[in-house]
Amino acid sequence: MKLTIDGKTVTAKEGETILECALRHDISIPHLCTHSALSPFGACRLCVVEIEGMRGYPTSCTTPAAEGMVVRTNTQALQELRRNILALTMLEHPSACLVCDRRQLCEQYRPEAEKAGRTTGCHTCNNKEVCEVRVLAEDLGLSELPVPPSYHQRPLERAEPFIDRDLNLCILCGRCVRICKHQHGTAVIDFIDRSSRTHIGQAFERSLLDAGCRFCGSCVDVCPTGSLADRYAKWYGKPDATIETTCIFCDAACALELGAKRGKLITAKAVNEDVPICVLGRFALPEFLNGTDRLRMPYVRVGEVLRETEWKEAIKAMAAKLREFVGDGFAIVCDTASTIEDRHIFKKFTSEVMKSKNYIEIKPDARGVSRTSLPKGTKAALLTGNFIDAAQLKALELLIVQDCYPSAVSERADIVLPAAVFAEVDGTIPDSSGQKRPLRKACDPPGQAKAEWRIICELARAMGAKGFAYKSAGAISKKLGIPKTDLQVERDKTPEAARDPKLRRTYFRGHRIDEKVRGLQELLIDGGSSAGAAETEHKGNFQILEKHEIAPNTHEIVIEAPEVAKKALPGQFVIVMVDEKSERVPYTLCDWDARKGTITLVVLEKGQSSRKLVLLKAGDKLAHVVGPLGVPLEIKRYGTVALAAGCYGIGAIVPIAKAMKDAGNRVLTIAEARSHYLSYYREKLQAISDEFIQTTIDGSMDIKGHAVDVIVKKLKDGEKIDCVIAIGCPFMMMLTGQETKPYGVKTLAALNPIMLDGTGMCGACRVTVGEETKFACVDGPFFDAHLIDWDELRDRRAAYSAEEIHSLGRTEPVAPHHNDNHKCMSLHRTRNRE
Amino acid sequence: MAKEKIPRQPMPEQAPEDRARNFDEVPYGYTEETAILEASRCLKCKNPKCVTGCPVNVDIPAFIALVQEGKFIEAAQKVKEQNTLPAVCGRVCPQEEQCEKLCVLGVKDEPVAVGRLERFVADYERNSGNIKMPKIAEKTSKKVACVGAGPAGLTVAGDLIKLGHEVTVFEALQETGGVLTYGIPEFRLPKATVQAEVDYLKKLGVKFVMDFVVGRNSTIPELLDKEGFDAVFIGTGAGLPAFMKIQGENLVGVYSANEYLTRSNLMKAYLFPKYDTPPIKRQRVAVIGGGNVAMDSARTALRLGADVTIVYRRAREQMPARNEEIHHAEEEGIKLKLLNNPVRIIGDDRHRVVAMECIRMKLGEPDESGRRRPIPIKGSEFIMELDTVIVAIGNKPNPLIPQTMPELETSKWGTIVVNEETMQTSVPGVYAGGDIVSGAATVILAMGQGRIAAKAINEYLAKK
Repeated sequence: MKLTIDGKTVTAKEGETILECALRHDISIPHLCTHSALSPFGACRLCVVEIEGMRGYPTSCTTPAAEGMVVRTNTQALQELRRNILALTMLEHPSACLVCDRRQLCEQYRPEAEKAGRTTGCHTCNNKEVCEVRVLAEDLGLSELPVPPSYHQRPLERAEPFIDRDLNLCILCGRCVRICKHQHGTAVIDFIDRSSRTHIGQAFERSLLDAGCRFCGSCVDVCPTGSLADRYAKWYGKPDATIETTCIFCDAACALELGAKRGKLITAKAVNEDVPICVLGRFALPEFLNGTDRLRMPYVRVGEVLRETEWKEAIKAMAAKLREFVGDGFAIVCDTASTIEDRHIFKKFTSEVMKSKNYIEIKPDARGVSRTSLPKGTKAALLTGNFIDAAQLKALELLIVQDCYPSAVSERADIVLPAAVFAEVDGTIPDSSGQKRPLRKACDPPGQAKAEWRIICELARAMGAKGFAYKSAGAISKKLGIPKTDLQVERDKTPEAARDPKLRRTYFRGHRIDEKVRGLQELLIDGGSSAGAAETEHKGNFQILEKHEIAPNTHEIVIEAPEVAKKALPGQFVIVMVDEKSERVPYTLCDWDARKGTITLVVLEKGQSSRKLVLLKAGDKLAHVVGPLGVPLEIKRYGTVALAAGCYGIGAIVPIAKAMKDAGNRVLTIAEARSHYLSYYREKLQAISDEFIQTTIDGSMDIKGHAVDVIVKKLKDGEKIDCVIAIGCPFMMMLTGQETKPYGVKTLAALNPIMLDGTGMCGACRVTVGEETKFACVDGPFFDAHLIDWDELRDRRAAYSAEEIHSLGRTEPVAPHHNDNHKCMSLHRTRNRE
Repeated sequence: MAKEKIPRQPMPEQAPEDRARNFDEVPYGYTEETAILEASRCLKCKNPKCVTGCPVNVDIPAFIALVQEGKFIEAAQKVKEQNTLPAVCGRVCPQEEQCEKLCVLGVKDEPVAVGRLERFVADYERNSGNIKMPKIAEKTSKKVACVGAGPAGLTVAGDLIKLGHEVTVFEALQETGGVLTYGIPEFRLPKATVQAEVDYLKKLGVKFVMDFVVGRNSTIPELLDKEGFDAVFIGTGAGLPAFMKIQGENLVGVYSANEYLTRSNLMKAYLFPKYDTPPIKRQRVAVIGGGNVAMDSARTALRLGADVTIVYRRAREQMPARNEEIHHAEEEGIKLKLLNNPVRIIGDDRHRVVAMECIRMKLGEPDESGRRRPIPIKGSEFIMELDTVIVAIGNKPNPLIPQTMPELETSKWGTIVVNEETMQTSVPGVYAGGDIVSGAATVILAMGQGRIAAKAINEYLAKK
């Protein structure tokens, strides 16, 4: 079947759609709801084309290719139409960053997405680096929205294991619903409600858990936006390397595509999008391998203690000791989580070097349990996992444990060796049918952990044995005559555990997997493990009196703190510790009432600490609130003062506006928000300013642009401004400084670097201002915006981002009652109707 | 005589290879038997020199005699008559420069291990749970405020509460102890030990107000005029880290020793992610400086898994750190790079430290401190590759209180000027002691000044 697409003659296969045919011939047609694993749907309508002899613009994803068709995919009319379609789609997606005039500058200053609770734009979107919508917007040249977008005020759903769902980002392409049905026959999720209230959800408002979700993660994999996210991987960004390997959590041996960043495993998904994998394969692996308590170094027992040592020493010690146990008094016990190559070396070592017949290989049961007992008369044993009851070990004269995690067994050991396992090694493993499958190294092992065959080969050589000079796992497989193996990509039926997560394995090498992987503790099999998260008690003197989410991801918190309220002055901040284990984090004071003894903060949810704070409810108590700290802003009569405020700064600018006005200044307040639904405190600021101007990045309310645009325009028009004060994110403050500089207007910015004590004692908050080093806590927070080294500030603020992302990925699911978004949702809805 | 033949009893401690990777305390302390044996070495001099060497004048021969008799509780109480924090002092005092230096035995033999015995009796009393409350004088209804819950402030509080005054300690951080908590690491001074000493003061009736920054929440004049305090003691410490003022000092990966130690000790970053403050996980660390704080920083970095080098511009003999600390550090595998001075710190495009340039030094004529002045050797610059630099070259006094109290006289270094006989400042009723007066010094000197201040405050209150 031949047809013409964009003047090129192409051949279509039987039953192929125009879109499939075009893509196969490298002719790109924009599309969004289509996905290679799914049948055509025709919902997004971005793939419209012109076909000679057909009226209108048919969607290429649903139109079968036919003999002699003449198709055009890239006319001006089509692009215009698509741009309009995308713009309409973007009306229900936080799209301001897509139409921002300073998008390029912003990307330059902060290329990686910043963490947030609810995402309100690309720069706080976990999907930023791989977003299909962003690519489309760029390709189609989307630069404005026809009417103001709407935000549905849906709560961030994070009560489920492994999956975060932010339906405010959802564009209703339906990929998730369709893949769920495709993978499991019936879908757990569906379109709920109608017209503008349509959203993705479970029938009867059940949770995913109750609705019978299998946590195969297919929905997350196909989502084109950041709406569905893998909680652990969420903020790592795009992997810099991907590799396909075999899953060895059980012998179903599914093919996994693993993604790593700087050698650290961050994602896992099915190679074959057509067949689901189980929760372990999809979600458990990165967290399991990245556990902070992995064995990283060899240990040798000296007296009572296991002493950390170098490999050379450990091997030497081991070789010396093992020489005393040559014969059947020695045993190796391993299970099938070790590769064929590893096991070959274990066996060879046992018989050839130790002259023992006691090579014991356990085949785990359906739960992954590998237990056995040692043969009578065993005096020395090498175990590769937690396989033997502690009582039996007492009789041993020498115990060596080679494993990935410490256990009751390793605690008793004389020598402990850190093993590289699973995605950290190359090798071969058999699946349940005996077919051999490849295991390929996708990430670095922790610390000095090594492949198991390598450890035993080194040991054998140290004991003077010949025949252990292998250089790679491949050399061993070659010697064993294992032919080149293939991944199990095609499979005729869904693996058991992918159909029912309760059928998954519980143990790996004798370790409970759910003790290492937080989300599994919600997905109970048998009463769960003992490692439940300790409930943090909220004790302290500082009670939260009120708390509201006044704009998406922006929380107004009123706290009882009389000592702070008594002395607070404009521009000062407090340091808050939510509980005794929290960080000390500075927040600017937005208001206070000395009489009532209360202070008000506006807090944006970003990382672990602000997350802890905004998840509290009115009535909860904070462990510590210290302040007021910092040098108060100098309040005097300047003439006209322009106040530029963004995000939390809209709150922080309030006391400054009041004080500047009281001092006799003309106060011009400009609040910038990404979109109209992110603006707050309008009435409040209007009331205390001589002139109040709202700008929005997407132009959905009042003036389009940043706050500084208003200031620059006024300066250009010859209006006199004597002082500019900017409070917001570093990007916004940098921008303000850069653009007022040519006009020589005094411009101050309130800096918010990482702090510890906040009283000058530690110097963590150092900033470079001009030629000088300043401490933001005792010299600031206000500095000359024209002199601040903004790049240094950004990098110092990001000093711990890798650690923060790891800790955030392991956070517990949040029970829905902790989320006060529901209340806000109804509030906003009523307001919108009025 | 048989007595001379008993050697100074060593204190058993964790092997360097083990302790280099954990935060547990290094020495285990004496057993009852070794304590008695060591106590029996004391000559019980009629005119004991050791007592004069002690900044707080502990009756050393008396408490040692009680140890020898096996009366450990009584011995502890004897120490506590003069010393508010015996378990702390037994661990961190530089005894070799004080009591033990003057011990007569030390002339020919090794001195009596006064510090180890002090530590033993304090721990013994605490572990026995048999803590006897001292006699507290009749209430005077006078109110005293101590600013800062560090060694100086705690000493003043302990002394004055026993004299019947009402004492309130104001602390800015979330924990008491000051430098004992945020600065000195767990492996040298367990936080439970500090806490126990503070709990004892609480039992005596001392009130602690936490999260309170004097200078911000209330100024000292306000404490005196509005809050009804009759006297104030300032013990805010030397809380402003000094930097070298060389290129690259604000790069990510350059820390003041204060920050590095605070993260680990106060914020418990080494227990991340159980605690939220992220640790500093780096591989190659250089610590600049040669004092006790430099040793503490280096040994903390080592325990967090780093390869550590101490860079010091003079020679070993000039290092201000205690010998024991340098010895412990070296034993644990910390390298010393002596007669080297950093010139600049080099970063990458993300402002992260990648290297440091140093220059070799030689020693010249003695300077005003009496130590031979280090002189750079021209053309001897070299590059050290590393990812973390900890600057431990000292602290300046925190300016917060002087800033908010202009009438308080300060020196050109920012320290508070006092009458050394009474520790009274230029403002009547306001006393000061510790590092805010002497610059960066030791725990016991701060406590010694605290004792002097407490005595003077008591006299001042009697007259008032």
